Amino acid sequence: MKTEAELEQVLDQLYAAGPPRAAAEQALTKLREQVQTWRPQLWYGSLAQSPVGALLVAVSAQGVVAVDFGDNEARFVDRLRRAFGVQPNPSAERAGPAVRQLDEYVQGKRTAFDLPVDLEACSDFQRRVLEAAVGVPRGRLATYGEIAARIGAPQAARAVGQALARNPIPIIVPCHRVVAADGSLTGYSGGAGVETKAKLLRLEGAAIA
Amino acid sequence: MAIQEPKPEFAELVEAHAREIHAFVWRLVREDAESEDVLQSAFLRAFRAYDRLPGGANYRAWLYKIAGNEARTRLRRRARSPVELSDDFPAAAPSVEHQAELQLRLSEVAQAVEKLPHKQRTSLILRNYQGLGYAEIGEILEVSPEAARANVYQALRKLRARFVTAASGDLPAPARSPVEARVR
Repeated sequence: MKTEAELEQVLDQLYAAGPPRAAAEQALTKLREQVQTWRPQLWYGSLAQSPVGALLVAVSAQGVVAVDFGDNEARFVDRLRRAFGVQPNPSAERAGPAVRQLDEYVQGKRTAFDLPVDLEACSDFQRRVLEAAVGVPRGRLATYGEIAARIGAPQAARAVGQALARNPIPIIVPCHRVVAADGSLTGYSGGAGVETKAKLLRLEGAAIA
Repeated sequence: MAIQEPKPEFAELVEAHAREIHAFVWRLVREDAESEDVLQSAFLRAFRAYDRLPGGANYRAWLYKIAGNEARTRLRRRARSPVELSDDFPAAAPSVEHQAELQLRLSEVAQAVEKLPHKQRTSLILRNYQGLGYAEIGEILEVSPEAARANVYQALRKLRARFVTAASGDLPAPARSPVEARVR
């Protein structure tokens, strides 16, 4: 095109009218229906014993929202309440599939999780980092820099490390498979720290020092 | 000690702002199904964060911010796995030969807008098509009103540089400001 006026015409053609009326009505109708189902609901359950100690797990209607090491239920509930603004309730039924799969996994009877995860409470950046971490297969390791490169932010290895340190769903989102550039198992905030990270990796058959 | 203002029910925010926010995300992603999905994701995020939002906040700007971020995430994914652009742009062509050329032009401009930096693209849409002022755009993007104005200017400058071939005189840009004079 030749002139500014022509460019403006094209922009107007693309954007001025906005969404088709039917699409807008449908989007609003569906949103109203959705909002009705968003009475916030979280449920949690626990695994009393495992090679990495007791575990707590919380789920929403969308998927697993949190895993915590230990059996400090009050702290777990408080953390969930602050993150989601709702009071979670214990439910062996709702949390059951996640608890069972965690149990099988830490016992070495399961190689992969078949569970949806719900990362809606994470920032965009953290969500991208965690989604990339999910892509690291069992038995393999990735470095912080590799995850940074994978999400298109090659300079952000440090921020990747921080996002993984705040992983709300350890084990299921396998942040333990992400290590320093020299292969050392730095930084694991769950359980007994680096020791737990090493335990999980050995369980998965990863080659670690 | 300040007493927190009472907050409207979340459903009231949906009624007050969802239509406008949907138009905004539709303009960003330009696809019916995806705009519906972005709208739902954005409001779900807002819903979950609503308890922590102080009463008396600018709810509209807050929703715009969340929706803009959600749309940005989708556009990034799209950039990583490009799909064919839909060819159902509303175009009234004088002849069949021109039709194809017009569609191509629309696609090219739309793609160029998608490739603008987030703040420039969002500022352009908010200012020119959602009718927001620079102060409010600045609040949504967490920049000064001057920077919001500069973002619109930069967006248009890039698009002109790419698409306008005829030599032109002074750009009919938004009214000048000190910032704009610097970026020029």
